[in-house]
Amino acid sequence: MSISLSAAEQQRYSRHLLLAEIGPAGQLKLKAARVLVIGAGGLGCPAALYLAAGGIGTIGLLDFDQVEESNLQRQVLFTTADIGAPKAKRARERLLALNPQLQIVAHQTELTAANVQQIFAGYDLVVDGSDRIGTRYLVNDACVIYRKPLVSAAIHRFEGQAMSYAPGRGPCYRCLFPDLSGAVLPNCSQAGVLGVLPGVLGAIQATEVMKLLLGIGEPLLGRVLVYDALTLRFDEFRISRRPDCAVCGEHPSILAPADEPGFCSVEEQRRVVGISAVELAQRIRGAGAAADTAPLTLVDVRDPEEFTVGHLPRAVNIPLTLIEQQGLSLPRETPAVFLCRSGARSLKACALARRAGMTMPLQLEGGLLAWREAVEPGFAL
Amino acid sequence: MACTVHVASPLRDYTHGAARVQAEGNTLAQVLGDLDRRYPGMRFRMIDEQLRIRPHIRIFVAAQEALTLERPVLPKDSVHLLCALSGG
Repeated sequence: MSISLSAAEQQRYSRHLLLAEIGPAGQLKLKAARVLVIGAGGLGCPAALYLAAGGIGTIGLLDFDQVEESNLQRQVLFTTADIGAPKAKRARERLLALNPQLQIVAHQTELTAANVQQIFAGYDLVVDGSDRIGTRYLVNDACVIYRKPLVSAAIHRFEGQAMSYAPGRGPCYRCLFPDLSGAVLPNCSQAGVLGVLPGVLGAIQATEVMKLLLGIGEPLLGRVLVYDALTLRFDEFRISRRPDCAVCGEHPSILAPADEPGFCSVEEQRRVVGISAVELAQRIRGAGAAADTAPLTLVDVRDPEEFTVGHLPRAVNIPLTLIEQQGLSLPRETPAVFLCRSGARSLKACALARRAGMTMPLQLEGGLLAWREAVEPGFAL
Repeated sequence: MACTVHVASPLRDYTHGAARVQAEGNTLAQVLGDLDRRYPGMRFRMIDEQLRIRPHIRIFVAAQEALTLERPVLPKDSVHLLCALSGG
């Protein structure tokens, strides 16, 4: 099917058409392109806005979540009136309002190994702006296996990273970070994030999409870009394809996309019940309500070396890595409080405990850092 | 002689929020050991019990990836600690 630019499109994209690197032929490439944005969040919103403004003909938006008030600090597709609305559908409306000439597809669903092939089949390129590490690996592996270019970015507090992957042209995300078992990576809802940070990284992702589609410039292939908003530094580091990469290496062991069993879903993490440091101190001292004074088992999920430096009295040390590998050996009815340094590892451990059937696990909010701040200033960490 | 270490955001809990810190050593192992003395527990978040760099951490010395802890470090070198991020 041949496509052309209408008079209205020529007017709308006139500043692109002036660029020798784009021109009418390049704009037609953008019009014919189909780009899937994973996550209508801090990264996905600005990336999708620029892709729509720039004339990407078909844009898919995948997000299963609803708009929350705390999203509005950085997720620029949404307004206060959107709170409670499904993100993908509302984002579609916003993008169509910006550019009605496009095909915008809302995928109001969670990406899984079961649906990734079917969804990816409708797109030429994928933008990863998800906030779950398990999804990042699923997206990467699917892009390698189904040979789709991928533009990734991730953020944490004041730092962002970006890299691109193109089949046969460089390393993939697993070449950069092969395996995250044992790693605990808090997302924005746990660690906080500067609202404008994903704006910078999302715009970089949109830039990369344009370059890859147009075949211009030097995409971030084999390079990871690191942006520190506090120092306003951009650093870049060269990375190589790993011959032993599990998905793009010479003898791959991952031959089909799979859900990562060790990673907890957003929903699982949301269901975790927290306990504050002050409340835990009261419970330990027996100062709580009578019904709440059952003896608590304190499960410290830090590594043994950290546990040795300092730990709460009678706490047992079961490192998160052990829980991930072997599961929990505690009785299901144990009234347990999971704790770690900052709260990230214990959140995951608590979610895994719930998944294993533990009836009422609690998580120490803010971890032992909060304990030191609110209860015991001299606590050694 | 001290070198400058650029600290990945998730590791800044250990450096009291500092993005750049100083550490001494002629090899990466010595630099990380000095960091751990200044910021207890930090090294173990990067290096496992088998003295391997953890798979969610990449370390660059003078912009070149360090694959082993024996990598020499010169006083003028910058050491960058890169950590996988998951936020979106």
